Amino acid sequence: MSRRHPFTLLALAAALTALAWILPAPAGGLGTAAAALALAAAAGPRRVLLPALATAAPFWLFLLLLHDVPSTIAIGLRLTTMIASVVWVGALLPPGRLVEAMVAAGWGVTAAYLFAAALSAVPLLKARAQRIVDAQRCRGLSPRGGLGRRLRALRALALPLVLSVLHEVDERALALETRGFVPGARRTPLAPPQDPTAERAGRWLLLVACAGALAWRIAWHG
Amino acid sequence: MARLTFERVSFWYPATERPALREVSLAVAPGEVVALVGKVGAGASTLLLVAADLAPRVVGGKIEGTVDFQGGGRGKGGRGIVLPSPWTQLSGMAFKVWDEVAFGPANLGWPRERIVRAVDRSLAALDIGALAARDPGTLSGGELQRVVIAGIVAMEPALVLLDEPTAELDLEGTTLVWRLVRGLAGDGCSVVMATSDPDALPEVADRVVWMEHGAVRRIGAPALLADESLCEAGLATTVADVWRMARLGAPYPLTVAQAERRWRQ
Repeated sequence: MSRRHPFTLLALAAALTALAWILPAPAGGLGTAAAALALAAAAGPRRVLLPALATAAPFWLFLLLLHDVPSTIAIGLRLTTMIASVVWVGALLPPGRLVEAMVAAGWGVTAAYLFAAALSAVPLLKARAQRIVDAQRCRGLSPRGGLGRRLRALRALALPLVLSVLHEVDERALALETRGFVPGARRTPLAPPQDPTAERAGRWLLLVACAGALAWRIAWHG
Repeated sequence: MARLTFERVSFWYPATERPALREVSLAVAPGEVVALVGKVGAGASTLLLVAADLAPRVVGGKIEGTVDFQGGGRGKGGRGIVLPSPWTQLSGMAFKVWDEVAFGPANLGWPRERIVRAVDRSLAALDIGALAARDPGTLSGGELQRVVIAGIVAMEPALVLLDEPTAELDLEGTTLVWRLVRGLAGDGCSVVMATSDPDALPEVADRVVWMEHGAVRRIGAPALLADESLCEAGLATTVADVWRMARLGAPYPLTVAQAERRWRQ
């Protein structure tokens, strides 16, 4: 599945989510949640399915506190579909392939950059936050203990992290400019993913299915 | 004709009253390597930003005087700058070193075959071919510095501007970068670099520019790095400094080889 075109993976995740909300509950949500969880399980029970279930669990808890059981099941299944789809596509789709697909499809470099930079920023920020925590530990600040200590440690982490990111924005803007990354540039796709006709047709089919489900829902169920 | 010409250039950063550059005049010929030396705040980095057409266009601020760049000669013949912190220069769009180096050429819209040739040549020149499949986010500072330099070199610029290019590098990496600089000059590319490593300059630079408080104080051959005034400013080569401290008499030798010859005389 990971060899599929990035747009196909995105379309599948988006279609499952859309159908979960369009189709009547609970049967519709049950079907889409089952499909999304099956995809997650196929991608890796520990790597994809478990994180998806762990992310969805607190939502179920809050829903139970706020709603009756039928509503909880209806909304919970829809949320589970959404979460499992997002976790599945996030695990399966390398950001680099998505950017290549966007560039090959004629998207502007700025739009592609927004996607890629957002996806690549998370591990970089995590690594930097860890370095700052390590440095603060060396200077005697412990992030463990009571709430007060943890809040102090959080402040000592947040300030240098935010300041360094702001400083980096300036320098990165200069670096991007000097490397020809300017609005309107026609970037050459380096390794454009294959986009077979069958997959393109499949994406249209998903769109038609969503539109059809919406029309059916409006016409027959109001 | 000079590739880069500064004529009485002064530059002010936004919201500052003191100029970061004061009436700087300088001409850099095609294939010439010019080294900027000076203490912190001398204006060398600012000069590079102005030469790269990033200040004031992107940085903001105010400029007086004339900056003239004559591109052409290699590839697109543009100008590229390597800033001092390599980790801030990653594109954020590449998830492999090869793609990171190809980022600039791809933005120039070159055909893929040309990009492949330029990137492979650049990776080989910086001896980082083995890193091609690595995630740039997992590299060490020295490896990252080489990747960033390779990214600029792959764009085949006519003018390369290097701000402390060896700050993150070990001895092997430093030697490689200096060899690359001479190689670029040999191909007709002009190089202007700010460095606090004067010991390498006698073999790398064609001319040395001594900057102080934003102004050019002196321009000359690398022999300038053994001058009494540069020794006093702490900007001379180690050999010249040691010779001077030992009170062995002027003129001071610039390199170990020169010192050896002088010693034997």
